[in-house]
Amino acid sequence: MILIVNTTSDTSVTEELRKQAEAGNVDVDIVEAGSLKISHCIGCNYCWLKTPGECAIKDDYEMILKKLIHADQYWVISDTALGFIDHKGKNVFDRILPILTMNLKFVKGQMRHISRYGKNADVGLIIRGDAADKEYLERWVERAALNLESKSLGVFDESKIKEAVSCMC
Amino acid sequence: MHVLIINGSPRIKKFSNTDKILDEFTKGMCEGGNTCDRYEISDKASWDAIRKAYDESDNILIAIPLYVECIPGLLMEFLETLTPKTGNAKMSFILQSGFAEGVQLRCGEAYLERLAKNLGCEYGGTLVKGGNFEIRFLNDENRAKATSPYADMGREFAACGNFNSDKCKAFTGPEIFPAPVRVLVGFFFKTAVRKNFIRDGESLGCTRPLDYKPYS
Repeated sequence: MILIVNTTSDTSVTEELRKQAEAGNVDVDIVEAGSLKISHCIGCNYCWLKTPGECAIKDDYEMILKKLIHADQYWVISDTALGFIDHKGKNVFDRILPILTMNLKFVKGQMRHISRYGKNADVGLIIRGDAADKEYLERWVERAALNLESKSLGVFDESKIKEAVSCMC
Repeated sequence: MHVLIINGSPRIKKFSNTDKILDEFTKGMCEGGNTCDRYEISDKASWDAIRKAYDESDNILIAIPLYVECIPGLLMEFLETLTPKTGNAKMSFILQSGFAEGVQLRCGEAYLERLAKNLGCEYGGTLVKGGNFEIRFLNDENRAKATSPYADMGREFAACGNFNSDKCKAFTGPEIFPAPVRVLVGFFFKTAVRKNFIRDGESLGCTRPLDYKPYS
């Protein structure tokens, strides 16, 4: 299953995505998070140490988390700000931590957290607006995926939905 | 020198590792009569005051815990509300993380240079260091041991006005651990470190194994 979380308030991107995914027979689960209540991560460490696997913040992200553990791909649609994704886009990445455990190991020479549910989803990003530094974002998604021991599916402008969908299989 | 210091951690001050690091850093920095104002991003009620301080300051230091390879979402939310500077302001950073090797922080560091420019500031460099996860769980003596090296970096920042000196760069420690060290540390991950984490969990009231799967 391909999980797509739209953190923007613009649903035209997801409409287009849904159309193209249906045409390509791709199994997508689209969450319109722009209208959901999703807090930032407060860094309490409870998901690692107090209630393992469970976020202390009881809001709409829990539903995303439950889908995420079954997803092969995690796509986030985000607005941009200050050369990066905006805070709403970043929040749905920061809140991902419950899928990892506190425990550590070395992978390719670097420390990693051991996954809680086995293989984690590959990560892709679709961006809106022109405030992002795309080259930096590509590096960032690569790095974020490395931490999940999965791979980056790339960074796509909202005008390149077709290219993004071609990576959804 | 007067520095506006913003703790960019979303964790409340009492448990913030970044806050404990700043305590030591500012001790060193203020020795020669330098002064600072400190604010916490985690205290949303103070955001108007932080914005005002930002508007009036030309020497800004933001201390940041690494969150998914970059800055925390809450700090981003605050920064989005700022007006880029037009004068000769300088912005420097302290970037810290749980993972211990320097290589883990480079992607975040690369963003901070871009961030300073996007906010119209000269980039004063980033003091990069990992291995700080346990600070909040340490007793006073061990916490002092873990954070006191930052006092020297505070002195260095006071002397240089930035984090570009060789001494600051060396502060990061190894970029990656040599293979024999990884074997040894890897062994500790499965033994003493794992035990420590269980103890940390118990101190918070945890009653489940740390690899518990609530949703499968």
